[in-house]
Parts: sequence; structure tokens; C-alpha cells
Amino acid sequence: MIGTVTLNPAIDVVLEVGNLKINYYNKVLKAHTTSGGKGINVSKAVRGCGRETIAIGFLGGGRGRMIEEELREMGITTNFWHIEEKTRSNTIISDKETGQHTLLSETGPKITEYDLEMLKSIFYRVMSQCIVVTLSGSLPRGVPVNIYGDLISIAKERGVKTILNTSGEQFIKGLEKKPFLAKPDLRESNQIFGIKIDKEKDAIKAAKEVVQRGAEIGVVSLQQKKDIIATRDEIWFAETDYHEIVNLIGAGDALIAGFAIALTEEGKNLKEAIKFSMACALASALREEEEFSSREEVNKCLQCVNIKRL
Amino acid sequence: MKIKDIMIRDVTSALATCKLVDLIGILSRHKITGLPVVNNNQEIVGFISLHDIIRATLPNYLGIINSDSILSEFIQLSKSLKEYSQHPVEEFMRKNIVTIDEDDNEVLAADLLIRNKIQRLPVLRDGKLVGTVTLTDICRVLMKNNENKKS
Repeated sequence: MIGTVTLNPAIDVVLEVGNLKINYYNKVLKAHTTSGGKGINVSKAVRGCGRETIAIGFLGGGRGRMIEEELREMGITTNFWHIEEKTRSNTIISDKETGQHTLLSETGPKITEYDLEMLKSIFYRVMSQCIVVTLSGSLPRGVPVNIYGDLISIAKERGVKTILNTSGEQFIKGLEKKPFLAKPDLRESNQIFGIKIDKEKDAIKAAKEVVQRGAEIGVVSLQQKKDIIATRDEIWFAETDYHEIVNLIGAGDALIAGFAIALTEEGKNLKEAIKFSMACALASALREEEEFSSREEVNKCLQCVNIKRL
Repeated sequence: MKIKDIMIRDVTSALATCKLVDLIGILSRHKITGLPVVNNNQEIVGFISLHDIIRATLPNYLGIINSDSILSEFIQLSKSLKEYSQHPVEEFMRKNIVTIDEDDNEVLAADLLIRNKIQRLPVLRDGKLVGTVTLTDICRVLMKNNENKKS
């Protein structure tokens, strides 16, 4: 089983309007609601490949129960801790006429020390059923930056491999506990360890630094299209030669899902793991909706992935 | 049809050491009336429901059901619930429980649910909790199958 942790999930509400007029009455043409959050997206991609996955984290209120129901219907096992406050929602106003997108993002709910303690207890139990666990995404209010480090330590104690994919201070703190694979999330700021990731050499430097700080495998994305993968003695460069990308949202999470699946499949070497993960990311990017729904879709993408050892 | 194809894939559960007050919190936030009790390896050790708690905290439970004066008994209930709030789930849970394996079928599940007059049946794989199945789930799936056959 592949475990995923989402501490700050959200409901994404996409509202399509004709021509948004501020301070005026607007009619919504189409409304569409999905569950979001990086860990949840990883679970969806893992399930899309036909593999079993269990999602844990914090949910709250009716929105929380809605997310849970959606996941279960997809065949994803859930074991969320329900908190007092409500799960946040992100509203995306998509203007058909101007092509503009406006995102209104709520701050996450407040997490108490008791909630954290309960989550760790659930995490400990669930790890007895997992081979790999992914720790992704931002932190809600009240959660200390060393949380991912704590969870990595628990997973290690139970012999579970960890994948860390987050940004900023919580990424650096998590690295201290030596996750198996780590990938900084560069969507908000294009920097990590004070390195600005503009060129290939910056990405290589950052990936090496990830390994040096404790991960066995470091992955760094370059302009959302290419990836550098570093280990202690190898550096790999991966990209796809497909150009009809429709949707990059969620592609990074599918990449993480790919690595998680590869780690559970015995006999896959690093080269095959990278290829498979890139194919997952591409399969996700080729779809308007966020998730792909079969392993065949991924297998088809395998031939569009180019990787080389530097 | 296999149970793993119809079960609810949720493994929300409580530890035997969970305090009663915390358990009630979980039940009310999930809007459910009972939970499987597990150990630290997700192996099932019992089942706890609101009824088990009421039965245990109100010694003359059966008497109350048949009694006309609800109020005095209600005061008794609220008193004992307060008293027991810090007690662990272990004291109230049922230990002899009925479970089903994920590879078993819906007929066996329906039989177990009806025969034992229970609402939810924990589903196991190698002794570890992987979901729950209820009569509603079984009915829903059976009705859907019939519809498919018709069309």
C-alpha cells in the first residue's frame, strides 16, 4: 500500500462566468467542484495506475466529509483525522470571455496540539500497512515546521520509505531526518537553499544539495518541464518530447506518485523508476481533468520520455 | 462479488486506550455511531458503539427502555457519562466481534449482519482492518446489478 499525507487539503470550486463584472450581479455558467491538496492528488494518480493507496491528514466539517466520500468512491482508502474547524476552499473564477482566471484562496483551518497528536497516532498505525509514504504540501495554521521530520522518523521506525515534496522551511527541516526521496516544491518561489533555479546547472546544484543534506535521491524540476535526478554518484536528466500539454496542475504530484509506485515494485532500477515517473507526469499533463485513469495511459507515455545520464 | 469491491474504504478506528470523551468526539465529527477498535498494527481487537456505552454506563438500561419516566433516567445517564468520560474504550468495547475477509462474498456478509443484528461489519486482510461493509452497501450493489441485468 502507498500512503499519502495531506495536512492542508482543500475543495477547489471552479466557477465559469461570461464576463466578470466587479461589484455587480454575475451569473455562473458552469460550476465544478473537486477535492484538492498535493497528497490527495498523489493518491488519485496512484489509484489511476490501479494501485492501492491510503490517504491521511486533516479534514473538517461537511466539506471534509465530501472530500472523503469522493476519494472512497475512487477506491482510495481514507483515514483522516476530523478537526473542529472546516476544511478550506479555493475558488477559481474562470472568465470565458477574457480568458482570465482569478483565484481566491482561503487560509487553512487551525490545527491544535491534540489534533497533531491524534494524526501522529493514526500515521503510526497506518504505517504498518504501507511500503512507501509521501509527505506533500503546505502546512495549515498551528502545525510546526518540523512535522514532516517527525513523520519521517516514525515511518523509518516502521521500515517505510518516505518521499518528501514540499517547500521552504518545512522542506529543509524534513530533509534533516533523511527521507528516501525529496523534491522541493518550487511553484511559489523558484528558490531553494538560496539557489535560484533558472538554468540546468542550478537545478543540478540544488539536486546535489538535496542528496548532501540527507536524501538518497534528490529531484529538482526545471521550468516545470525537465527534471534533474541526483543520487550520491549519479545525475540523470529527464524530459518529455511531447508538446500538446493541456494541464500542468497536478503533473508534479503524478511524478511523485510514479516514484512511489516504482519504489514498491521490486526489480525496478533508478533509470526505469525515473522513466515511469516522468510518464506518469506526462499522462497527467495530457488530460484536462487532473487524473489519468489507467496504467495503459502511462505506458503509452513511456516512449515520449527521454532520459540521459550526465 | 467480493467484499473488497463493495466495502467502504475507510479505516477510521480507535485505540483501546482512547478515552470515552475522545471517542464521542470522533463519532460526532464523522457522523457515525460505532467504530472498530484496533491495536498499533491496525489489527482489530474490538468494536465500540454508542449502544455499548449507554448499556455499560446505565446499569438498569433495560428497565429504562420500558419505563415511563424518561427524565429521571436521563439525569442518571448524563451523570454517569460525565463520570466515565476519562475511562478508556477498552472497558466498554465488545471483544468477541464478527468480521469478514475482503475476499469473502456479499452473501456471507449479509448473513453475518442479519444473524448478528449488527450495522457494520469490519473487513480484514491478514487480520488488519481495510474497510467496513454495511447492509446498505450490499443492498445498493445488489440493486444496481439487477438494474444492469435488466437493461
